[in-house]
Amino acid sequence: MNIAGNIVEFTGRTAALRPRPAPSLPPLLSLRCLTIADAGGQTLVDDVGFDVPRGGTIGIVGESGSGKSLTCRAILNLLPPGLRVASGSIRYGDHDLTRLDRRGWQALRGVDLAAVFQDPASYLNPSIPVGKQLAEALRAVSGLNSRAAHQRALALLRRVGLADAEGVFNLYPFELSGGMAQRVLIAIAISANPQLLIADEATTALDVTVQAEVLALLDELRREQGLTLILVSHDLAVVAQVCDHVIVMQGGRIVEAGTTAQVLRSPAHAYTRSLVDNHARYSIDAVGQSLPPAPDPAAAPAPRPLLEITNLRAAYGNRAVLDGIDLTVQRGEILGLIGETGCGKTTVLRAILGVVAPETGTIHFNGQDISALRGRELRRFRQSSQIQHAFQDPLRSLDPDLTVAGSIGEGLDIRGGIGAAERAERVATALAAVGLDPALSVRLPRDLSGGQRQRVIIARALAMDPAILLLDEPVSALDAVNRIHVLELMRRMADERGVAQVFISHDLGSIAGITDRVAVLHEGRIVESGPTADIIANPAHPYTRRLVQSVLRLEDGAVSRPSPAEQNPPVPPQRAAIPGEN
Amino acid sequence: MSTVAVQPSSAVAPPAPVRRPRKASRWQVLRSLALIVVPVFVAATLITFLLGQASGLDPAAGVAGDAASPEMVARIRHDFGLDRPVAIQYLAWMAGLARGDFGVSWFNGVPVAHLIAQRLPISLSVAGAALVIGVVLGSVLGIAAAVRRGSWLDRGVTAFASLASALPPFVVAIVLILVFSLWLNLLPAAGYIPFSEDPAGWLRIIAIPAAALSVDIVADLSRQLRTGLVTALSENYVTGAVVRGLSPRRILFVHVLRNGAGPALSVLALRVPMLIGGAVVTETIFTMPGIGKMAADSALRGDVPVVQGTLVVSILIVLACNLVINLLLGLLQPATRRKD
Amino acid sequence: MFKRLIASRSARPALAILAVVALLVALGPLLTPQDPLAQNPYALLEGPSARHWLGTDAFGRDVLSRLLAGSPVSILASLLSVAIGLVLGVVPGLLSVFLSRTFEWISLRLVDALMTLPFLVFAVAMTAMLGNGLGQAMFAVGILITPVFYRVGRAAALAVVNAEYVEAARLMGASTAFIIRRHVLAKVLPAVAVTTAAMTGACLSIVASLTFLGIGVVPPEPTWGGLLATDLTTLYERPYGPFAPGLLIVATVWAMNALADALRDLTAPPQEHWA
Repeated sequence: MNIAGNIVEFTGRTAALRPRPAPSLPPLLSLRCLTIADAGGQTLVDDVGFDVPRGGTIGIVGESGSGKSLTCRAILNLLPPGLRVASGSIRYGDHDLTRLDRRGWQALRGVDLAAVFQDPASYLNPSIPVGKQLAEALRAVSGLNSRAAHQRALALLRRVGLADAEGVFNLYPFELSGGMAQRVLIAIAISANPQLLIADEATTALDVTVQAEVLALLDELRREQGLTLILVSHDLAVVAQVCDHVIVMQGGRIVEAGTTAQVLRSPAHAYTRSLVDNHARYSIDAVGQSLPPAPDPAAAPAPRPLLEITNLRAAYGNRAVLDGIDLTVQRGEILGLIGETGCGKTTVLRAILGVVAPETGTIHFNGQDISALRGRELRRFRQSSQIQHAFQDPLRSLDPDLTVAGSIGEGLDIRGGIGAAERAERVATALAAVGLDPALSVRLPRDLSGGQRQRVIIARALAMDPAILLLDEPVSALDAVNRIHVLELMRRMADERGVAQVFISHDLGSIAGITDRVAVLHEGRIVESGPTADIIANPAHPYTRRLVQSVLRLEDGAVSRPSPAEQNPPVPPQRAAIPGEN
Repeated sequence: MSTVAVQPSSAVAPPAPVRRPRKASRWQVLRSLALIVVPVFVAATLITFLLGQASGLDPAAGVAGDAASPEMVARIRHDFGLDRPVAIQYLAWMAGLARGDFGVSWFNGVPVAHLIAQRLPISLSVAGAALVIGVVLGSVLGIAAAVRRGSWLDRGVTAFASLASALPPFVVAIVLILVFSLWLNLLPAAGYIPFSEDPAGWLRIIAIPAAALSVDIVADLSRQLRTGLVTALSENYVTGAVVRGLSPRRILFVHVLRNGAGPALSVLALRVPMLIGGAVVTETIFTMPGIGKMAADSALRGDVPVVQGTLVVSILIVLACNLVINLLLGLLQPATRRKD
Repeated sequence: MFKRLIASRSARPALAILAVVALLVALGPLLTPQDPLAQNPYALLEGPSARHWLGTDAFGRDVLSRLLAGSPVSILASLLSVAIGLVLGVVPGLLSVFLSRTFEWISLRLVDALMTLPFLVFAVAMTAMLGNGLGQAMFAVGILITPVFYRVGRAAALAVVNAEYVEAARLMGASTAFIIRRHVLAKVLPAVAVTTAAMTGACLSIVASLTFLGIGVVPPEPTWGGLLATDLTTLYERPYGPFAPGLLIVATVWAMNALADALRDLTAPPQEHWA
């Protein structure tokens, strides 16, 4: 094994950047030459090493498959079945974690080491109220009696920002929102006053405002309790927000490491540079730069809109979801629809598609009221395929038994009336339009990557030559590179083919990058709408302001925050997360 | 609140809206179960009743013999109420069931309820013992296999389950008789001794039939429990519990078993009708005068009321068992109960 | 599919056993060395010999001949029961997802009711009261196993009907018939194939139990189950008697179960991992 590999390469560079710290405390956690392999001997994490100083905050950034989560799981001895630490060491204090027995782990996990993960509700037993689980964890490590554990659990719930602790105590995990569930998990994690907290994609898939709150909570707890934090994310901005040091991983290796400021300002590795660049291009700060000049509304009288929604109300049962929506979409225009989970974004799309019946209101498409269509007429209108959609989960939106060509051509089969040759040609054209090799048409969905699947979904819609395309979180499951490709594809469809689009995303950066106009949805109403640049630069409604402020920027975080030294006196301020110096 | 060490922070998020749990009351649970159980009971008894109608049998042959004159047949049919419309007969029969009146045997005029009451303890002894053996052995094997998955124990349990599910109870019974009665001369192979007369004798006499009937349950339960537990063991909340520092024993018995036992319990509910039905085979082999054998003999004789009565009682037992298992599932996994 | 079955290691012994059983069914009655019904008062309860490979029973009948002659009835009866259960179960199961709520409710309760019936007792009662013939027995068993097929068909259809790709097809204006053809059938058939294999094994065991009790096929007509019943009465004299028919039953049932497991492994969708 090449021990000189990652470590030496980075030691040299980072050593030059930082002044030598005065007192050299031993690191809390120290990884050396860590290699993780599967049962077949394939290396998944290769020669990873870094130090985490006591009280430090380390961010690990990388895409899925980069090995960042496996590294964390190795630290916790939670590798998936079949994977093992092939070589290297993980030192925590006096322990070598790769050699710890069961008894040793029992004394460490939940006491010294704690962790929170993505999809927090799934980490709680679905059949037991969350408060009881918190109390159980307390009793397991501290030997409190049940009354004391109950009281302390309530206090912990309040501490993590759940004001109605008694109410939350008795809820089951599936009754919690994502943000609440993550707060509960954080409460459990800090219940034994651990030394080290690992947060693995802990804010992923949360609404932006909730994400900002959870990150703030983590940062606050860290300072208050002297926690050492390892924050893992695919999002550079999340890491930049909280961490002093960043490690960038790709393909199981560390490709770059350094202080947050240094990595952001002068990324050395090409992958890191692309991360920083992409963020700059598709972020709310980039608004207006990548857009064609907005048509001057005064120049031409506004043409009749392609899609016009008037006073739309919809409800599930007796719970109102949409409360009087007015929206218009012009030909060739991309309208962004933003708002948090449960605000009714998706319901708007489903109402346009005729899946949700509106209580009141009309939806006019090309002058025809399509909300009144039923039965045969509705099916005929659908077969005209002027409105197409692409939903969130590209895997579940494709029949696993149909080839790519079968899925893309399905709409043509339903409409009927074309021969096999023309069908094949249109499938190939659609594939080419989304930048996929037509040779993929014989593949099954499971043989495609996530990005390819998402493009197949869009190709399926494009093959039908739609006038308008409804997209629900089309890029949220994609990594940075694929996200950019799909966003650029969407912009091209609007510019070159005049396909109007309604684009739902929780990611304000994506919205800002490609939409012409945005509408902000909050509690079933549109609280604000207008040209994207205006809304983002000058949000008028308080909710929009909160939304825009919650967006994480790369320039925030470590760079603009007060230096860690002021917050955490016992920690040597400039101590790097880079091994090799001791 | 004096023991509290940490103070609530004001800097964190606005209070999140909390939905109070809608605790479904016991009564509501029972009502929703009744909405399913009652129609099922009605449908099952209707099938039973119609079977008697479809058989075209009547008591005349049994009471008057083959040489009965048409007038005599008509009179007998009238006495038994068989000349009324089918719907009226069904309602009358159901009304009788509600009073505990199962009619009388067409052959000896003895009330069916009396016949069943005499024989039910025998069948219940065997079925109950089989259930106990099946649940205990099946749970132990299933849990052990799931915990030590991949080990020789796991493979052994899987192989046993695969073989056992291919063994019809009567084949098992014959093998057990050969081994324990013929060769080892340990256990009796026929007859019945009531528990009240000789508990030890009762246990010895039901041992082989109960073991024979339990093989299926052991196989099915251990397999389902293993699958359910292995699935549950790979869930995130188990990872969560490990990270929280809970002991492996606590994780298994408090967290995993609770969520992983669902499929196994459902299978158990499906097994109960098989168990009661299986009585007919074991009671024939071991010449035990239980309700299974009585039903078979009566069916072959054409004694419709006895067959129907036996079936109704069996259905009631099955429904009662299902009810208990459903309540148990609801208690173990409140999430499934309250999901819309 | 068949090629892949042969290639799968777990299915091979099962297929070998089933091939032997198929031969017994096709040729068994032709191969009988003696008349399976001929009694011989001078050769009662004989042990295996050159003339009687498996010995003779209490009536002096050749056991091997009875075993061979009883093969077609034992196997074909269970196959026909499965066929009845399949048709009466899968079709309503599929339709319960696509037709009206009323149909769904009634069919569900009916299936629940069938599942509460004490299986063997009811099969015995039904066959005996309807005239104690093979046809009645197959019909009774077929009806009693419909719930299994109903649930399989319904579960498969339910899983598909809520899939996003079916919604996508509907949103492109597809009819129910198109959706069943294009999306549902391909998903239902593997599940049905697995269940059919498993239920053939189960029905074989059930039919054997019935014939063991003298239900469906009346002695002296030979069946595997019936042979065991005769053997039971002479267990003291011929303790090895149940061996041959018992082994045949157990081996066939095991082979069908193993085939079902192999089919399940082959048709199960590969686990998808992606985040």
